[in-house]
Amino acid sequence: MNAPLLAVDDLSTEFKTDHGRFRAVDEVSFALDKGRTLCVVGESGCGKSVTALSIMGLIPSPPGHIVGGSIRFEGEELVGLSPERYQGLRGNRMGMIFQEPMTSLNPAFTVGDQISEAILRHEPVSQAESKARTIELLRRVRIPSPEKRFDDYPHKLSGGMRQRAMIAMALSCSPDLLIADEPTTALDVTIQAQILELLGELRAESGMAIMLITHDLGVVAEMADEVLVMYAGRVVERAPAAALFASPQHPYTIGLMGSVPRLDLDQDRLAAIEGQVPNPANLPKGCRFRARCPFAIAECAEAEPPLIEVAPGHQAACIRAPLEMA
Amino acid sequence: MLTYVIRRVLVSIPTIVFISIVVFGLQLLLPGDPALALAGEERDPQVIAELRRMYHLDEPVWKQYLIWIGNVLQGDLGESIRLKVSVSDLVAAKLPVTLELAAMAMLIALLIGIPMGIVSAVRKESLLDYSANAVGLAGLSIPNFWLGIMMILLFSVQLGWLPASGFVKPSESLSQNLATLIMPAIVLGTGIAAIFMRHTRSAMLAVLRSDYVRTARAKGLREPRVVYRHALRNAIIPVVTLGAIQFGELMGGAVLTEQIFSIPGFGKLIVDAVFNRDYAVVQGVVLCTGTGFIFLNLCADLIYVVVNPRMRG
Repeated sequence: MNAPLLAVDDLSTEFKTDHGRFRAVDEVSFALDKGRTLCVVGESGCGKSVTALSIMGLIPSPPGHIVGGSIRFEGEELVGLSPERYQGLRGNRMGMIFQEPMTSLNPAFTVGDQISEAILRHEPVSQAESKARTIELLRRVRIPSPEKRFDDYPHKLSGGMRQRAMIAMALSCSPDLLIADEPTTALDVTIQAQILELLGELRAESGMAIMLITHDLGVVAEMADEVLVMYAGRVVERAPAAALFASPQHPYTIGLMGSVPRLDLDQDRLAAIEGQVPNPANLPKGCRFRARCPFAIAECAEAEPPLIEVAPGHQAACIRAPLEMA
Repeated sequence: MLTYVIRRVLVSIPTIVFISIVVFGLQLLLPGDPALALAGEERDPQVIAELRRMYHLDEPVWKQYLIWIGNVLQGDLGESIRLKVSVSDLVAAKLPVTLELAAMAMLIALLIGIPMGIVSAVRKESLLDYSANAVGLAGLSIPNFWLGIMMILLFSVQLGWLPASGFVKPSESLSQNLATLIMPAIVLGTGIAAIFMRHTRSAMLAVLRSDYVRTARAKGLREPRVVYRHALRNAIIPVVTLGAIQFGELMGGAVLTEQIFSIPGFGKLIVDAVFNRDYAVVQGVVLCTGTGFIFLNLCADLIYVVVNPRMRG
């Protein structure tokens, strides 16, 4: 069997704060193959973005630090990789787009300049070639009249157009992995659908893998091959998308699905997950979801439940799994 | 962009008019009747009336202002009563000195302040950052006159390397000229360098945390390019305005520093004029520095447009 494109094992990332160290990502493991889409789901602060930034080597340090585990990308270990080697990979073999298209482009430089800068950084091409390629990229992400947009400053573009430009930048060197950190959260709903559609098409064209971070299960249903559900820094469930939606095996996943609005059910109000995410600097003993879990039993307080296989390829970190759903 | 420039230039005009009115108003604060003062021992009412007519003192105040501003616009700032020379000549003689000193001080401030600010932001909370902050704090808190005297004691009295005071025109000897100006320029420059350092540092810290700097890193750019191209380009924008204001203040003449080093610039000129009740000179100098200040602010705003594409509309 071939090694996966990206293999993350027991990754832990900590941040030093005035109130001590806290672990934003706690022993996270997953793998992603070429051409596949992995969705990482969870509430704000569950460690999704920190996981992504850890893979990209972009954790602000200080205060952040990878304290354990391994990230293998195309067989190469990224934890402890030299900054020079990392810079050679970023924007080249792996690209990333961010949540805030409004602030993610540098206001002082033209859109075209910022995209072609990435090409010039990684490939031995002339200025003219990189400009031509940038215009082609802008066309591929469906920015109208790309020749004109090349010389526009970011403030002239709408949020959706800026996110397209960010995608063009991330794809400029045809990466094998694209990490998209909530790429549609800041956009209007209609634009969201367009951006997701674009990502899907680009994946099909290029065969790259996508790690898509979202808190929106609708996005997951549309995009994901596999899903990673995170809660308070840990993976609580990992499954192929179809299996996850058919039979979620962690109470948190069930709770997330309950809070998605649906038209086909007659609900007076949305089911919310009661309570708050625990403070990462002061986690409860045992299962982290215990305080909010409608299925909690006394044993849940004893130890952190490990991820166990509940069905082939489907893992959940709940001592009561497999859950028998009514 | 052109409309912005035109608007910005037009906005400066009322400010300059306002300054001229205030400066003209100074004359009205003169105690006593100026005609009597001019007449001196002479008490003949006919002579006094003649003087009054000669200097338009019999006209209403607004008309006196118009006559005065008309002369100013033709380059006639009146005459120094003490030195018996035209104020325009005085200003023309002192302005290059102040300008040269201000330019040297600014150069020193920029060369020290901005790199120090960048380094301490990039190496935040390192020994380098702490030292830069300590030096910056010292620069802000050490009074110029004390630093000036200490420098004279060390470099002139103890070591004998530099002249303690005086000024040599660059046309006479450039090396002598620089030797006389270097100490006052350092005294003025280090204080401003500290201000530059602190502003550059905080602007850089904010920008280095920004999303677009993260994007630049996500592209795989090398750190120097991230810092100097993507971060500095944005962080420098507020520092430009600050630089113009500081330069404007230097143009007003560094009163204490010029006194200590006996540099014949605006600072010394205005102090002497105030002590001697030489109002025409005070008026001339204030009008020149005020206008210069507005001009520098205008320059800063125009540079702003160049470095900040969002302003170009």
